[in-house]
Order: sequence, then structure tokens, then C-alpha cells
Amino acid sequence: MTAAGGALIAIESVAKRYVTSSGPVDALDDISLSVAEGEFCTLIGPSGCGKSTLLGMLGGLVMPDRGRLLVAGAPVTGPDPRRVATVFQDAGLFPWRTALENVEFGLELQGVSAERRRRTASELLGPLGLRGFAERYPRELSGGMKQRVAIGRALAIDTKILLMDEPFGALDEQTRVLMGEWLLDIWRRTRKTVIFVTHSLHEALFLSTRVAVMTARPGRIKSVLELTMEYPRSMESPEMVALRAKLWSEIREESLRAMQST
Amino acid sequence: MLQLATVLAGLAAWELAARSAWVDPLFIPAPSAVARALAAISGPALAGLADTLAKTAAAYVLSVVLGVSAGVAVGSVRLLRDVLSPYVIALYGMPKILVLPWIVLLLGYGTAPAVFYGTLHGLFPILVLVTGAVRDVDRTLVTVARSLGATPWQLYWKVLLPAIVPSVLAGMRLGIVFCLLGVLVVEMFAGVRGMGYVMGSLANGFQAPELFAATALVSATSIAIVLGLDQLNERLSRWRG
Amino acid sequence: MKVTVLRLALLAALLAAWELAGRAANPLLAVPPSAVLPALRDLLLLRSYPRLPASLCLTVREIGVAYALAVAAGLGCGFALGMNRLLGRAWGPMIAALYAVPAVVWYPSLMLFFGLDAASKIAFGFLLGFFPITLAVLAGVRQVNPQLVLVARAYGAGVVTVFFRVMLPSMLFTLVGGLRTGLALSVIGVVVGEILGAKDGMGALINHAYGLLRTGDYVALVLVTLAIVVGSDVLASLLERRAKAWTE
Repeated sequence: MTAAGGALIAIESVAKRYVTSSGPVDALDDISLSVAEGEFCTLIGPSGCGKSTLLGMLGGLVMPDRGRLLVAGAPVTGPDPRRVATVFQDAGLFPWRTALENVEFGLELQGVSAERRRRTASELLGPLGLRGFAERYPRELSGGMKQRVAIGRALAIDTKILLMDEPFGALDEQTRVLMGEWLLDIWRRTRKTVIFVTHSLHEALFLSTRVAVMTARPGRIKSVLELTMEYPRSMESPEMVALRAKLWSEIREESLRAMQST
Repeated sequence: MLQLATVLAGLAAWELAARSAWVDPLFIPAPSAVARALAAISGPALAGLADTLAKTAAAYVLSVVLGVSAGVAVGSVRLLRDVLSPYVIALYGMPKILVLPWIVLLLGYGTAPAVFYGTLHGLFPILVLVTGAVRDVDRTLVTVARSLGATPWQLYWKVLLPAIVPSVLAGMRLGIVFCLLGVLVVEMFAGVRGMGYVMGSLANGFQAPELFAATALVSATSIAIVLGLDQLNERLSRWRG
Repeated sequence: MKVTVLRLALLAALLAAWELAGRAANPLLAVPPSAVLPALRDLLLLRSYPRLPASLCLTVREIGVAYALAVAAGLGCGFALGMNRLLGRAWGPMIAALYAVPAVVWYPSLMLFFGLDAASKIAFGFLLGFFPITLAVLAGVRQVNPQLVLVARAYGAGVVTVFFRVMLPSMLFTLVGGLRTGLALSVIGVVVGEILGAKDGMGALINHAYGLLRTGDYVALVLVTLAIVVGSDVLASLLERRAKAWTE
């Protein structure tokens, strides 16, 4: 399978094997997927199916053993902060920097002047819901706030592509739902291309234009669901309930396989 | 308050015991006698203290510079760490006094052996703490910085070095006491100047009040230096809360 | 595997460098390892220092007495300060502040009190070993979960039972660590005391050899003393492992 013409992101027959102390592990096997500009594409699947590895490859942090990944037509050879920004599950805030300084970090690495990066970061704090928290250190922020700072840090470098690796995975259920609503709002305003990894059916259905279900290890794409409903979506509509059941049956099968194999 | 009261009560009891000759004032002089002795020896004692502190400062600068740079190098290279760590731990725990005679033999009496031996003492706690801190830097922070395009240079300056600041400061706090210890030992063993030499001579001359006064002076100086470093630590680590 | 080879290679390289430097240098100042071995043989066969067994025994005895006193006083003080909140608040911070003073400042006073004989070395070894043990007990007492004590009390456990069944197991780890550090420091205290001035013991022999520029004998004596240091630490680490196995 080859990528559709004009796709912003093309993943072509990618495979990855890790060598561990208990022998080699095939994390990914022959994955192909293409994502068009402006899409919100979610990867969902059982634990250990290689979702994070795939995201790491797109971010240039992990190299594939076979196949290739193209971003805007060019192969990925390493981190490219001009095109791709990543948000990790662990917020990964620098504890010695204030919220504002954390948001500025990417711009600082790029050598943007102090004045300009401070202005950019300050403007972001409003939509992040962090106005008034600029001078706080990470230890003084709640889990949801920390994750918003991390997202702000990714938004500050203003890339076309945003990779999110279970960004709300460590948050409690209520905060998670609210963060999902907030992220949807940000995405609809910035029109970024998002690749989002999650375990949550709710997040996948509530946010995505497309959901790719992955198989248990070695990870492959099992099926792809197109979601065309208008935003904001009601989770109670009959259409949504049916989709949820369908998605759950696909994932359940793979999760069972993953549980049995470990 | 409570601590102050305890100290005052202790001093009063001591004074009484010495005056009523429960203890031999030749060996344990009363606090008032110590205070008088402090005034009497302040001239040579302060000169000795200045000499000791100058050597300690030199040893300390060497310890911090060598300890931090070697710690960063050893901490960031896995192989280096694996190969060297047993040696470093063995040297850290070894009673360095055993090589002191040889150091004095090679470097003679005076400043050089004191600075060398002080460095030998101050270096290892700093090296061990910094190596551990570099090894334990949160990997997520490194990944984040790499994904944002950090160069190796930027990884060191913006991630690694700020992350190890608390450990460097903890090492510096330990290191200063160790450096001072090393310098004093050399002065006691083979000194011709400095506080260690002064104290050794006072002990040999059975001048108990003067010796107590000198001991109190060195202790107070050391505590003051450490408290100063604690202040600095607090200022630099506001983010740790 | 590779790491072990490299470690040994480094050791071999250091010994080779020492050998080369030792041969080139003034034999009064440096001795190559090849010259240390005969000196060590003479020492162990009691040719160079017939007093070696007596000196070794004295040093080990000083260490033993110093450590025993440090353990007794450290445990006593630690528990007294740890169990009694008022005493702990008054004295705890002061004991910690003493850590900010290089311990060797006390040595001249000890020499003045106890003279050049074994007593001053024992006193110094005691002093160095006492503090880490006391501080470990204090830290250990703080580690005990008060909830567990309450639960034990609620089930009718008396003070003695609470102490042995709840407190001691919870703090054992820290306590044993403190006892090990205490031993290492007691050893160092005695050795430092002997080198700074002694009539007998290993320190006196070392100073004698060094004073006469018998550098080979000096290195051999240092190696024998190091054997005491390493041996005591190996012993302590074995006991520490036993204690760990017991808590798990």
C-alpha cells in the first residue's frame, strides 16, 4: 500500500524490533497509514501494541528498521521542531522553570529573542487557561495544568503537526473529559494536524476525524474508522452509541490477545 | 528558644562544675576561662585561621571544579561509569590518612600538601553526588528537549546542568567540611602554620582554656560557612519548594 | 563482562604506571610494586617489624572498644531523643549542626585529656562512630508509621511488643545502614588518631617506617592496615545483607 497523494504524513510499511534481555520483541510490523492536513487521527489499541513507538518515529526520536516515514514529502531523519511538536504522557516540565519559561523552552532552543518568545508564550497562557499562573513552578500546578503547560510548549513552536502520546493518561476521569473538550476547542481554532494516542474510547470518539485500531503486538493497523459527525459531539446519540459498541468489540478482541500473550 | 535554654543551662552547669572543682579545671576549664583565653590568643589564632581558610578555599575551588566536571563526564558516559564506580567508591571510603605521610614526603611541609590533601577529601563527595545526579536525570526531560530539536550542547546547558544543581549544592555543602578537615589534619600532622598547627601546639602544651577557645573558633567558622551555603542553596532552589 | 575486563585493565595499567614511575623516581620517595612485595613478605614473616602482631591487635582492639561504645551510646542517645519529643527538639538540630564541623577539631582536646595512649584513639573512634548511629536512629524512629503503632496498640500490644514487632522492623533498614557507616567511621577515627600521634599500634609503625624513609615497609604497613579497613567493611556488609534478608 502506498500513501495517498498529497498526504501530509505518510507511514509506509514500517517495522520495528526491539532487542530486550528476554529476546527480540517485534513492536511494529508492516504499518502503513497516511494522514491528510487538518485531520485529527487517533491511534487506539491494547497496551504494548507499539503506538508510542510509532509516534516516536514520527517525532524523529526512534528510527524504523524497515519502511519509511514521510512528513510533507520528506523522510523523517530526526526531530524536526519546525514541522512536528510532541506532547508526552508524562508532562515532562522542567521543574526549575516557571510555567511561562516552560512554554518558552522550544523557542529558546531555536534562538528566538527573549522578548519575542516571552510575548508568544504570554499570549498562549490565556487559551491554555493558565493566566495568572505564569510565574508558578511545576510543583505548584495541578496535573491538568501541568499537561496544559506541556501542550502550550508544543503549541508555542507553531508546527503544522502535533503528536500527542496519551497526554491525558495520567489524569483523573473528570479532568480528562474537561481536557478533551479544551483540546477540541484548541484544535478547531488552530487547525493543526493531530496524531493522538489513547486508551480511551471516549477520547477517540469525541475528538477524532479518524480512528485507527491497532492489533496486539506486533502492532499492525487492524481497521480504520472515519468519523464524520459534527463537533461538538453528543456521546449519547444513537449513532455514537453504535460506533462505540463497534469500536469496543474491535479493541476488546485485541486487548484479550494482548493479555493472554503476556 | 528551647535550644537556647538547653545550651545556656549546659554552660551554667559546666561553669559551676569547674568553679566548685568537681572537674579538674586543668583539663576542663570553666567557660569564663575559655572566653578570657579566646581574647588572649585571638591574635595568633586569627592569623592561623586566615591561613587555614586560604588553603581550604584553594582546595575547595579545586574540589568543586574537578568534582563537577569529572562527575558530569563519568555520569553521562555509561561505560566510564560502570568501569570507574567501584574505584571511586573505594577511594571515597578509604582512610586517606594512610597516604598522608607519603604526600608530606613528596610535597614537603606547608601549603602544597594541605591543598592537595584537602582536595583529596573534598573531591569525592562532590564527584559521587554529581555522578549519581547526572545518571538519574529524568529521561523524559531529555526526550522532550530532543524532540524540540535541542543540540547536544543545549542538552547539557539547558537540561542536564540545571537538573543537577541541587546535587552540586549538596556536594558543595559536604565538600567544604571535608576540605577543611583535610587541611586541618595536614596542619596537625606536619604543619608549620595554620589553625591545626596552633591547636596541636596548644594540646601539647596542656593549655586547655586556649585550646578550647581555638576549637570553638574553628567550629563556629565552619558552621557559619555551612549556614552561608544553605542560604545560597535556598536561593538557587526556590523551584524545589 | 566487558566492564570487568576494562576494570582489571585499568588496575593493571595503574600498577604498570606505578612500577615505571617508581623505578624512575628516587627510591626514598617512591617504590615500585615489585619492591613492595618483598617488603610485604618481610613484614608478614615478622622480619622487618616483629611488633606487628601486637600492634595489629592493639589497633583492632581500639577499634572494637570504640565501636562498641559508639553503638551503645548512639542507640541510647538516638532512642532517647527519638522517643522523647521535647529532648529531640532541643538536641536533634544541635547534633545535626555538629555535622557541619570537621570532626578532627576535637582531636587535640581528646589528646589533651587522654594522652597519647590508646584512650585518645578510642575516644576519637567513638566520637566519629557515635554521630551516624545516633542520626540513623533518629531518622529510623521518624520512619515508623504511627498508624501501625496505633493499630498494634488497638490490638492490645504493650510497649515492648510495639518496640520489637512494629518499630524495629520498620526502621531496621536505616538503623543497619547507620551501624555500618558508624563502623567505617570508627575505624577511620582510630587510624587517624594513631597517625596523628601514637606510641603503639599500626599508626605508630607507619610513622616509624615513614620517619626512617623505609618507603617499602611503609607501603606494606599501609596495605596491612587497609586490610583491617576493608575486612571490617566486608563484615558489616555481610551483616547488612542478613538484616535485609530478614526484613523481606
